[in-house]
Amino acid sequence: MAAMDAETIRELLVRAFPGAEELAVEDRTGTGDHFQVTVASAEFDGLSLIDQHRRVNDVLADRIADGSIHELRIKTKGSG
Amino acid sequence: MKELREQIEDVIKDEPVALFMKGTPQMVMCGNSYRALNALHAAKAPVTAVDILPDPRIRQELSSVSGWPTIPQVFVKGELVGGADIVEELLESGELERKLDGALGDDRSQDVKVVALELV
Repeated sequence: MAAMDAETIRELLVRAFPGAEELAVEDRTGTGDHFQVTVASAEFDGLSLIDQHRRVNDVLADRIADGSIHELRIKTKGSG
Repeated sequence: MKELREQIEDVIKDEPVALFMKGTPQMVMCGNSYRALNALHAAKAPVTAVDILPDPRIRQELSSVSGWPTIPQVFVKGELVGGADIVEELLESGELERKLDGALGDDRSQDVKVVALELV
């Protein structure tokens, strides 16, 4: 369960959402395992909130499953 | 005794609002489970809570059934609504209450109950 840093997560998300208008990752506790992720992208337009979150979860699925991300808070927005 | 997976599927299918959480409504063991529970209370939802902490297999099976990786998980009438962030967002927009009104009617009970899964 190696700790992650916010920049590593950001890079994964940048690769997954290359056209994102906003993309921020915050280490909420400074312990490398509780993160707040904010993504605004036109890719989310027309998707339900749950499908938007699924897209983010999918990018980080391995890190969530192996416990290196203990908590993931997600805020997504479309381009509107 | 039913398989764990089947027990989980039964809760999702049979309970009006199912909350898979860390701990119980009486003793919540995680801030995000607390956020989801509070949002459901605020939207006047009945809550059937399942504690996932007694055995790691519960979370594994649940995530395999739902395709959702994190805890808590909220289901309304068998449909995954989301985790704490989504439930809070839907509460703020009023959509959570509308969803509950549509699924359960607006004179619904607000009972809170706890279902313990049987483990081999």
